[in-house]
Amino acid sequence: MSRFVGILILCLVASVSASEHWSLRPLQRPPVPESDATNPIDAFVRAKLKSEGLKPSPPADHSTLIRRLCYNLIGLSPGELTRHNYSDLVEHLLASPRYGEHWARHWLDVANYADTHGNDHDFARPNAWPYRDWVVQAFNNDKPYTRFIQEQVAGDVLFPDDPQAVVALGFLAAGPWDETLMVGINKDSVDHRIAQNLDRDEYVATVMGAFQGLTVQCARCHDHKFDPVTQKEYYQLQAVFSGIDRIDRTYDQDPTLHRKRRSLEARLKAVKNRDPKVVASMNLESSRRVADRLKKQQIERAKLWHPLKIISITSAKGAKTKFGRQADGSWLVTGEVPHQDTYILTAQVAAQDVQALRFEGLPDKSMPGGGPGRYHPSGNFHFTEFQAAAHPSTGPTSGAEPIKFVRATVSHGDGPNQSGPHAIDGNTGTHWSVHPHYGKQHNAVFELEQPLGHAGGTTLIIRMMFNGHERHLAGRFRLSYCTGNLPVAQRPPLPFALSELLNKPGQTAAELRELALLQMERELQSQLDALPDPQLVYAVHNDFEKDRAFSPANKPRPIHVLIRGEIDKHGELVEPGTLSCVPELAGELEIDNPEIEGNRRAALARWLSHRNNALTWRTIVNRVWHYHFGQGLSPTPNDLGKMGGTPSHPDLLDWLAVWFRDEAKGSLKQLHRLIVTSDTYRQIVAHSPIAADKDPDNRLLWRMNRVRLTGEQMRDSLLQFAGRLDLTMGGPTVYQFRHKEERTFQPSGGQPAFIDYTNFDPDDPANHRRSLYRFIFRTLPDPLMKAMDVPEGEQCMPVRTVSTTSVQAFALLNNPFVIRMSEHIAERVDGISAAFRLILQREPTSSELAKFKEYATKHGLANAVHLLLNSNEFIYVD
Amino acid sequence: MSIDRRNFLSQTATGIGGIAAMNLLNAGATGAPSFRPKAKRVIQLFMNGGASQMDLFDYKPRLAELDGKKFDPGEGQHVEASASVPGNVMKSPFSFAQHGQCGRWMSDQLPHLSKHVDEMAFLMAMTSKSNVHGPAAYLQTSGFFLPGFPSAGSWISYALGSLSENVPAFVALPDDRGLPYNGRSAFTSGFLPANHEGTVVHADKPRPITHLEPPETAKHITRESRAEGLSLLNDFNATHAAQRPGDSRLNARIESYQLAARLQLAAPELLDLSRESAVTKNKYGLDHPDTENFGRRCLLARRMIERGVRFVQVWSGYGGARNNWDNHASIPKELPPITRGMDQPTAALLTDLKQRGLLEDTLLVWTTEFGRMPFSQNNVGRDHNGGTFVNWFAGAGIRKGAAFGQSDEWSWKAVKDATNTYDFHATILHLLGLDHEQLSVRHGGIDRRLTDVHGHILHDILS
Repeated sequence: MSRFVGILILCLVASVSASEHWSLRPLQRPPVPESDATNPIDAFVRAKLKSEGLKPSPPADHSTLIRRLCYNLIGLSPGELTRHNYSDLVEHLLASPRYGEHWARHWLDVANYADTHGNDHDFARPNAWPYRDWVVQAFNNDKPYTRFIQEQVAGDVLFPDDPQAVVALGFLAAGPWDETLMVGINKDSVDHRIAQNLDRDEYVATVMGAFQGLTVQCARCHDHKFDPVTQKEYYQLQAVFSGIDRIDRTYDQDPTLHRKRRSLEARLKAVKNRDPKVVASMNLESSRRVADRLKKQQIERAKLWHPLKIISITSAKGAKTKFGRQADGSWLVTGEVPHQDTYILTAQVAAQDVQALRFEGLPDKSMPGGGPGRYHPSGNFHFTEFQAAAHPSTGPTSGAEPIKFVRATVSHGDGPNQSGPHAIDGNTGTHWSVHPHYGKQHNAVFELEQPLGHAGGTTLIIRMMFNGHERHLAGRFRLSYCTGNLPVAQRPPLPFALSELLNKPGQTAAELRELALLQMERELQSQLDALPDPQLVYAVHNDFEKDRAFSPANKPRPIHVLIRGEIDKHGELVEPGTLSCVPELAGELEIDNPEIEGNRRAALARWLSHRNNALTWRTIVNRVWHYHFGQGLSPTPNDLGKMGGTPSHPDLLDWLAVWFRDEAKGSLKQLHRLIVTSDTYRQIVAHSPIAADKDPDNRLLWRMNRVRLTGEQMRDSLLQFAGRLDLTMGGPTVYQFRHKEERTFQPSGGQPAFIDYTNFDPDDPANHRRSLYRFIFRTLPDPLMKAMDVPEGEQCMPVRTVSTTSVQAFALLNNPFVIRMSEHIAERVDGISAAFRLILQREPTSSELAKFKEYATKHGLANAVHLLLNSNEFIYVD
Repeated sequence: MSIDRRNFLSQTATGIGGIAAMNLLNAGATGAPSFRPKAKRVIQLFMNGGASQMDLFDYKPRLAELDGKKFDPGEGQHVEASASVPGNVMKSPFSFAQHGQCGRWMSDQLPHLSKHVDEMAFLMAMTSKSNVHGPAAYLQTSGFFLPGFPSAGSWISYALGSLSENVPAFVALPDDRGLPYNGRSAFTSGFLPANHEGTVVHADKPRPITHLEPPETAKHITRESRAEGLSLLNDFNATHAAQRPGDSRLNARIESYQLAARLQLAAPELLDLSRESAVTKNKYGLDHPDTENFGRRCLLARRMIERGVRFVQVWSGYGGARNNWDNHASIPKELPPITRGMDQPTAALLTDLKQRGLLEDTLLVWTTEFGRMPFSQNNVGRDHNGGTFVNWFAGAGIRKGAAFGQSDEWSWKAVKDATNTYDFHATILHLLGLDHEQLSVRHGGIDRRLTDVHGHILHDILS
């Protein structure tokens, strides 16, 4: 009851503050001012100008308009395209796939997208790009704005059958993530807990900034100083996101496959969590049947494996490592314990259909920790690589062909990064580890791509490498092979817990049930494994394999108000919730079962996309306006609160918000069309001392604003002029830099990344893709792009800084890419006039022609073209 | 300066047109702080990795008594290490002696700096909110735990510009072996305009500054083609601007090309160490492989501040697993070489600055992101410790031979006059004549400062 009263009081307080601030008033459609304008935008703008004694500027000429429109809608130059009916061109450009590419980049600024995690190690995030492609398609397909919001906040929950709705969650994960703090340090350390808090803060700040135009993150340490957002509400928003973490997530392009995988995953999760319904379904009788079946299979399977006849066994360390044959056919390794070792075995097989090889790591009391490894004190080993080659026993050793393994399954591996497949990945920097199950048997089955065997016998040469951490060597092992019945042989070795229960004499009913459930897990897992490989997107999830300190939240983590924002000063425990200051909407979220993480996000997504959420509609129309005019009606698109900019035309903003919601039904293309066909948009960039005196920042729109090209527009235009622009859409990011290692760019041994932009070949095909598709490195930005103020994904950028610097002058004068493109353009164009038409969309004046001709005659056309690319006329759009 | 600088500085940097003029590299370079400054410029030496305070400056005889025993600070205090299980107490493997008139204890690993203790002022109880390189280094470079905030050098560049129109205001000299933790973000201008980013100079590379010159493969670009081209571009842009009155950005951009031309002319001389005498070079240790890397960059730092650079950052060690101050594996093996590389060049820089009269108005700052633990890791290494560590100052406005703050008997935590990066940055800004509470920029709805909402000027170490 007291809680209810508390909320009521809060609502009252909030509604008082709300009525005072423009963005928190209920959204109503104001009347369009009387005027002869056909476009309501012009009616509002002219009415305001008139009241200030100002006049609009005349329309710009055709070529200026076309240049403005092309850069604005598709981010590219019109090139030599000059004659075109304006309204036809609007339709043409809005229908062009280039439109989505250009506007996606705007949204990625807001989402704070990049292709690395950021922070000290700044590891690559190779699966971020599917989200980038989702954004492109959302714009190109004109996805209604409510759906645009819903998919990015809770697509997995609200549209479970749509694979792309999983990809949309890349929005939540797009910002930086501190791998060291989240994964690499001790879980109970203060740094780790601060990082978790800041991780949630990033979700809250990004979502509320992007969709609500509010800076709720200011309420992390105390109630918001300026806007009616309490600290408690802020932590209620954190609680919405307290069940997720940033992680690669699977999806399938094919919706049928997508559904099938989801269903299997859901069942597997239910079994793993020992869902009471699943547990109840497994009675004693059925459990016993499972056990019997497994026992039978175990006996059958044992028959398929035959010991390998070992002819010789040596160590790379020579006689210092000794191998002793044991009665059970295994080998016990003794002698000195070197840091690393490789065991080399020669074996002979008579069979002609060898399907798989098996390594059994056996426990032994003589080893530290009981083995199966020699490492003191644990008994672990790091199996770096299992390699084999074979030749007919009748032929020479030189005829040995390497054997290709297609799969390695193990009874246990230490998480996703130290498991069976790492022993056959050809990478000596990775390994299979059996941590933390020491003193037990560990099996690995290596399946051959092709059955193996020569008439007259086969000789195998096997190399087992242990090059991981020091002294992590196998201590006792046995090798065998199997032939024949492939399906049975392929079945992975029984997991530990299962084989222990199975071989335990006189199991209890509970143990039998546990055994049956483990088997159920195993079967579901193998069904999942049999599906084609899914695609991955870097998104958010609560289901992934634990990696050191980084583990999924089975239930949403409890969230407390943190007094003064201090990590250990717990205040009240809060439920998921949202803001009470938005008029006509409750600050409480209706959540069916808040224990289910996704229900929390789904509730917030519905609240954010609610037709009565005034902030939602005001925020998006203002944001779109910003990208058309270079300045929003409120100049701070991510802050419509009290510290943000007051709107120049509040009535126009509200009219647009209601129109966009009710008439355009959330269609951004309709909003663009309305704006770019207005007279206000088509004005010239005029100058009037009187108007400039009254309104120096052109808030009243008495003229159009001159805007500078973005780094992407500049770079893409150069490719376009050079005839090199590769318009391939989507797919993995392209590396527009030299680098040493493909996946992480991190040479081994924790050295810093090696990235070289300036010596990258400008003519490399990767360089010809649109800038949208380049790999964005948070801590090592491209110096050309950086000089042009392109954000590198460290903080979200709803408004880009536009700087005029000597750093930029240097970049445009000396960057190898800019210079090479000048050369290509010079090869393509026929003289100075053609270069002017291509780059500036106009003919040179006679004096310009003379001067540039003289210069080009003396220094070559490439130098002359390079000057045009450095000119203000190219870099600014009128 | 006619306009109220404080209002000027607290404007948003994102308006259209109106603010373009200040985005020029040296705009605002009138050296007009809000009050009379003691320091005109700063050299910051940054020990990347977390220099071990109890093996260099913070003498703790108690550690020798407890050596090999379990570390127990008593009163049930929780002992944690960020990346390891706490080992036993480990004494310093080095010997300490008192130096100078101030009687400061220094480790035998610092034979050169020990001669200068009477010039230095030590913060003996610096603390960090983080025990991890990434955020702790950000706290030292930008004052924030998270990425994306302007570094101190960028704030100073933004506020004061450089002292000459031929050099940038903020230069970063990373270790020859690579960039520090956080890569180039260590020198980022964050949400300030891009010209306030640290200009990175790779002292050992044939082309030390990105984009300073066209690539060698561009044979068609000659001195003459460039000179005539810039003149033609200037005319072309001037005509364009004349037809478009009322837009200061167009002229600002024309000026940015003129400035670039001046910078390009000045750069070769700035970087040319052949103009230094052999005696000077040897003092900085350029004649020895141990000291050459850091020494060359210390000498360059001096040349830069002589020529008007406002803030020079010299890094010792890089972001890798070794060859830095992050001595997890072995203090006796890893600390001596990196210290040797720093000790002589730093002492040479101090002496050189003093002899040239530059120390009067140049602030020299020695920084690291955190300290290390009094207990062992891997038997003879030490894990990170944000609980207490040492930074020191020398030069302009600094009380000579001072020490402020005190750690506990193990150098585990600060116990008296603890200081933090906010105080550290507030003090640097103060010495430059800037009020750390006034120097702000609106970003993301908040007036952002280098010192967030904290910071006290450390008057105890000021003269």
